[in-house]
Amino acid sequence: MGAARKYAPLLPVLGLYAALFAIGLLVPGKWQLIAQLVFYCALGQAFNLFMGMTGYVDFGYVAFMGVGAYGMAVTVSSLSDKGLGLWLIPLGLVHAAIFSILLSLAVGAVALRLRGAYFAIATIGVNEGFRFLIEGARLWNGSAGIIFSRNMKEAFGREGAIEISTFWADVLVFAVAVLAAVMTMVYLCSKVGYALTALREDEDAAKVMGINVTRYKIVAFITSAVLAGLLGACAWALKLTYVYPADVFEIHYTVEAIIIVLLGGAGTLLGPIVGGLIYAASKYYLAVTVPGLQLLIFAPIILTIIVLFPEGTVGMVKRRCRSTVLERFIH
Amino acid sequence: MSFLVLENVTKRFGGLVAVDAVNMRVEHGEMLAIVGPNGAGKTTLFNLINGVFLADEGRILFDGVDITRYPAYKRAHLGIGRTFQIPRPFASATVRENIAIGGMFGADGNEIDVDHAMGMADHYIDLLGLTPHRDKPAGRLTPVEKKMVEIARALAMKPRLLLMDEAMAGMNPKDIDGMVDLIKQIRETEGIAIIAMVEHIMRAVVSLAERVLVMHQGAKLVDEPTHRALTDPKVVEVYLGEAGEARHA
Repeated sequence: MGAARKYAPLLPVLGLYAALFAIGLLVPGKWQLIAQLVFYCALGQAFNLFMGMTGYVDFGYVAFMGVGAYGMAVTVSSLSDKGLGLWLIPLGLVHAAIFSILLSLAVGAVALRLRGAYFAIATIGVNEGFRFLIEGARLWNGSAGIIFSRNMKEAFGREGAIEISTFWADVLVFAVAVLAAVMTMVYLCSKVGYALTALREDEDAAKVMGINVTRYKIVAFITSAVLAGLLGACAWALKLTYVYPADVFEIHYTVEAIIIVLLGGAGTLLGPIVGGLIYAASKYYLAVTVPGLQLLIFAPIILTIIVLFPEGTVGMVKRRCRSTVLERFIH
Repeated sequence: MSFLVLENVTKRFGGLVAVDAVNMRVEHGEMLAIVGPNGAGKTTLFNLINGVFLADEGRILFDGVDITRYPAYKRAHLGIGRTFQIPRPFASATVRENIAIGGMFGADGNEIDVDHAMGMADHYIDLLGLTPHRDKPAGRLTPVEKKMVEIARALAMKPRLLLMDEAMAGMNPKDIDGMVDLIKQIRETEGIAIIAMVEHIMRAVVSLAERVLVMHQGAKLVDEPTHRALTDPKVVEVYLGEAGEARHA
């Protein structure tokens, strides 16, 4: 199987993101909506890299986004007077990645020893614990958070700061989404993907087959955490120019990520993107059309999809398309 | 030195001694059957050999290497393959992928990339007659087909020692004959040592194994060439009860 054919499933994904990007740029007033959709697609994809591929549900996932947001906020707020110019942003992204790697190593070293439901239970505490650590130990300004809009202006100029937070932050979210898609495909096509499939289906049998399950779980866990850290740095810190612990360590986002992955199809490439689009679009339109009742209407829709298509919408389409031309493009 | 050596291997679960100071040896390319009634400790013994459990006492040597503390995946890399009594294929993966996973992570795993492993898988798919099911998810096969996938997957790991846990349990006599022929063929073509665990199907034991190890209540009861082992009075007693008992009943 040639590389081009192997990576063919990336084409619809890249096409979709290109189309969304074009709509956002060309249709006036739609950029923020598109940015919101892509944020949820990226969140779903990043989460899917661990949960979808290994079957482990990480309830503390949002903590990686939180420390990523802090990575960016700390960088911009403390180095804005050093005359680094636009280099501040890549530096902030590097810090976001480092923070999320460190946190994922700390969490993984303990929680990845546990299996199934025990892992999920152990990770519930991570997010809340980290939030209280920041607030209680007055780390990074404690509960007052970091407000760095002034530093943004100092570093990038008034116009530059506005342009970064209203446009380039969202472009970076697109970039994270594409990166997550590429990483997913690289894993799916390589030994990592097969090892993860095996351990998701039967961890003991996987070990007996010679798979070092701990190693592959950590690889997936760190990759997923770094993507979350980058997403937090772009979609939260850079876009909002402030970070509050109560906002970024909000378990709500983890739950949204789980819903997106289940709606779309766990362990697939296209699943979290479709799930993210369905989720974000319905959330947006329901909030506009039936304000106040959106959750009441939203819940039965999600339940219906999950009951009708237990393998997710993409899982269902994938099964229908088996042995047709489309098969090659759906993963 | 023998290929596989167990010295005084013991495994306890709480107060229960599941495997009690077992000594055994297996030579290169040998075919050994482990028999014994339910609960005799056969499966635990398998789990100790391939590292699902670690022994509480004793030593295990494989090809001269002390593997007593090795985790399961490292033992697989050294060439210990295993099939389970109830087949455990990776249900969502296709038959071909299941078998390729064996090649990718088995004894030569480091040198085998994904494409190569897929090619290897096709060879074993042919060998085990799974061609019509090649691209089906393994979860959708019949139990006998799943068993074939499991054996193919274990062979793709290129083991030098294969542990077969009740490969014939629940099969009809025709399938058993087929399996016996298959195991003979595997042994000849692949040149591997096989330890097969068998509960009741003595016909298969007689036609396959050169040596039989009988287990009873965690301990080794008899370890003899096949015919002598199966006619040993102790073995008859374990399986059928004492002659005296039968008369009373």
